[in-house]
Amino acid sequence: MSLLTPLFLLGLAGLALPILIHLTQRERRQVVKFPSLMFVRRIPYQSVRRRSIRNWLLLMVRLAALALVVFAFARPFFTGGDLGASVTGAREVVILLDRSYSMGYADRWDRAAAAAREVIDDLEAADRATIVLFASSAEIALRSTAERDRLLGALDVAAPGGGATRYAPALKVAAGVLGESSLPRREVVLISDFQRGGWRGEEGARLPAGATLTPVRIDGGDGPNLTATSVSLSRSTFSDQERVAVTASFVNRGTEPVPPRAVTLEVDGRVIGTAQVEADEAGAPSVTFDPFTVTGRTMRGTVRLADDALAADNVFHFVITPSEPVRVALVQRAAGPGADPYLAQALAIGDEPRFETTVRTPEALSDQDLARASVVLLVDAPVSTALARRLEAFVARGGGLMLATGPRSSWPDDVDLLPGVLAEPVDRTSGVAARVGAIEFAHPLFEPFRAPRSGDFTAARFYGYRSITAAPEADVLARFDAGSPALLERRAGQGRVLLWASTLDMSWSDLPLRPVYLPFVHRAMLHLSSYREPATWRTVGDVLDSTSAGDRVEAGLVALTPSGGRLSLDEEGAAVFELTEQGFYEIRVPQAPDAETQVTAANVDPAEADLTAMEPQELIAAALAVPSAEADAAASAELSPETREGSQRLWWFLLLAGVILLGIDTLVSNRLSRA
Amino acid sequence: MSVMGQAAVPGARFVDPAVLARIGNLELVSRSVVDGFINGLHKAPYYGASVDFAEHRGYVPGDDVRRMDWRLWARTDRYYVKEYEAESNANFSVLLDISKSMDYASEGSVTKLDYARMLAGCLTYLVHQQRDRVGLVTFDNAIVEHVPPSAKHMDVVLHTLERVKPGRPGDLRPPLRQLAEHFGRRGVLVVISDFYEEPEAVVEAIAPLRFRGNDIIVFQVLDRAELEFGFGEASAFEDLESGEQLPVVPEAFREQYLSLVRAHLDALSKRFSETRVDYALVNTSQPLDHALFRYLSMRGRSMKSR
Repeated sequence: MSLLTPLFLLGLAGLALPILIHLTQRERRQVVKFPSLMFVRRIPYQSVRRRSIRNWLLLMVRLAALALVVFAFARPFFTGGDLGASVTGAREVVILLDRSYSMGYADRWDRAAAAAREVIDDLEAADRATIVLFASSAEIALRSTAERDRLLGALDVAAPGGGATRYAPALKVAAGVLGESSLPRREVVLISDFQRGGWRGEEGARLPAGATLTPVRIDGGDGPNLTATSVSLSRSTFSDQERVAVTASFVNRGTEPVPPRAVTLEVDGRVIGTAQVEADEAGAPSVTFDPFTVTGRTMRGTVRLADDALAADNVFHFVITPSEPVRVALVQRAAGPGADPYLAQALAIGDEPRFETTVRTPEALSDQDLARASVVLLVDAPVSTALARRLEAFVARGGGLMLATGPRSSWPDDVDLLPGVLAEPVDRTSGVAARVGAIEFAHPLFEPFRAPRSGDFTAARFYGYRSITAAPEADVLARFDAGSPALLERRAGQGRVLLWASTLDMSWSDLPLRPVYLPFVHRAMLHLSSYREPATWRTVGDVLDSTSAGDRVEAGLVALTPSGGRLSLDEEGAAVFELTEQGFYEIRVPQAPDAETQVTAANVDPAEADLTAMEPQELIAAALAVPSAEADAAASAELSPETREGSQRLWWFLLLAGVILLGIDTLVSNRLSRA
Repeated sequence: MSVMGQAAVPGARFVDPAVLARIGNLELVSRSVVDGFINGLHKAPYYGASVDFAEHRGYVPGDDVRRMDWRLWARTDRYYVKEYEAESNANFSVLLDISKSMDYASEGSVTKLDYARMLAGCLTYLVHQQRDRVGLVTFDNAIVEHVPPSAKHMDVVLHTLERVKPGRPGDLRPPLRQLAEHFGRRGVLVVISDFYEEPEAVVEAIAPLRFRGNDIIVFQVLDRAELEFGFGEASAFEDLESGEQLPVVPEAFREQYLSLVRAHLDALSKRFSETRVDYALVNTSQPLDHALFRYLSMRGRSMKSR
């Protein structure tokens, strides 16, 4: 039974009123003013007879009447569970068992399994039960069966996984099971530690009308709980070898300080560093290990804390790969010392990622250069038809091409690759120099310049540019103040082409002297090379797209899970799978044992380590709520108005009883006063 | 209560001719000699300008040359000045407690404050007729009004008495300590109060008034109800000063109350006589003249016995 308006219970404080009135007012019916109570005060007061309550019956009747009226205003009602009990017949029970890794905290899982067994033991012969194991997603372990042995068996093989708690998928699965059931009583038993992080509002998880939801709360244990939340890699180069320093971050999710504990760094299974870490209450310490040399193609790193009550969050896996430079082929008229220094200088700066520049003249650009490069940057150079065809093929394969035009730039008309057609140069040396305006800041290239004071392109003056007629499929990313396109982009095949209407050196503009020059060139190169930061780790529950492994999908890929399971990825073209376990996933080609293995580190969601619990009532209220649109239909179909009203009718009886008692009180007190 | 003739002197209604008829033939004589300027009944301790010649003394520079006896100079060729024995008036002040507790009257009687006002008016009129200087101080827990003693202040004193309103809760010590410092010139001080304080505290507050040689006369004004406690119904008694309420069952309380009051009055009487302060208890249900006569006759006897 619950209360609709429990605040009215504050009115119970009014019960003190009759007693207070009795004790105070009766003694002070008449007030006599007296000069001083100096002497009266010294006389001990002994009229106890007046203070004592003479008519207990009257007082009790009054108090009971008041209490009943207050309780009636609090509107008690029977919840679905109370009502459900009144329905008879066989039950369809769905046991939702939380197997997120936080259930591995202390003995929570054992207690949860015991609670589930208890529910199974309570089943009658005609009842049916379903076991749903859920974490970030829900999985039916055993669907609607009356066989108790099978249910217990399914329970025995279940264990907490590496996922984070999410209630909505489990409730949706339960709603589906109950919706298909023909049994008259439908119940859901939710066994969980009810972490706050698992519930983000309603999420559309609603149980069918008439179903009940019984929460079984498994909690306890608020000791220190240190969680490894992330690692950051700091790369450096030492005598031509890349070195990495690992910094691991921790958070204490417990309510007590964590005493010093050992933390180790393992690389490829070998311990290469140890340290101590301690944390205050809710503290977030971090540990930096000594740098080590990156040797292999893919190294597997693990930061491991000494065990505590929750073991799953003490381990953090990550993958270290040698940093890959962005290879740029810089094609200009004069290679070598006579070349324009600005671009080469700009590309020589930068660590994350590095740029590896090869300077060539148009004639010297070989196929080998094109095969190595991910971006070709053509600066004020005439392009022959043959070179244009090779560049077209390069872009179609996924390469990036940027053309910075100048007085000598040309492009053969019969190769349709550029985003626009080059026309005559525009001379702005007399009068006012041209400036760049109308920039598409939504484009990834200009996105970093979007915020105010993040780079001003209008400061650069352009004394000459090529007027360009944009191709229909091209995007104009920037225009000069006269409206002529300044930067255009076009996708061709798997690659992209950028066309810059002016030079990138000092011959036509002072852009190289402006602060935006360096980030602009870097952004353009990264955009053209489709550079993406390599992910050092992923979180359990993420979906891994194995197409990132390149074109090996067709070769018949196999993914090995951390627990040793095999997932065949090319069946029915399923190249996508969900990470469900903590550890290292490997994607390899079985037919080619020598081929490189793609390794992905999966870690548990650190948010799950926050064991803060929520009130199950909130979840129940959302799961059992009937949307207003369905309310009428449900009321007519599922719950008759009588049943619905019956659940809330109690207040009426309480009020009636209160009024009757007040009537009795009047009668009794009248009789007493007459006596 | 009749007014003195039909004189339009405010406050004069307190000077009951019947009262004055009874006490007019008595002399309120100051116990000690008080310095002053005007001739009167009181003996001055200093020589001054008066009609009663005392003696001659040799002239010293600074003496008033008008007081030089030229005849004696003519006879003796020496300078002498004449000394006279001065008869002077006394300072007479009434110190009237106007605290809240004084604003009490049981049924059919005047309030203690009204009674005290009449008493103060009578005494002031009486001593004024003796050409003494009259003054008035009203106080509760601090001095409220202060009329300095003066021969011309009879009207002012009566005016002030007329205006008096019951004030704040009373506390004798602070105002009386201040007054003790103020009454430097010796005289007669009459304190009228209900003395709802511990006897020790009352005496401690009043005794300093004597330190400068003043004569103190104390009237304790109490209502009959306070002295007899003739209440019947059980009620909540409210303290006039603090507003505090206490449940009281009079029949159960009376005996103890009366014994406490008796002990209080006895203690006051005893302590006042020890400190040579004249003390009289006045019941507001008794006629004013009767009370005054009784006291003044007693006081006259004490003067004569001196």
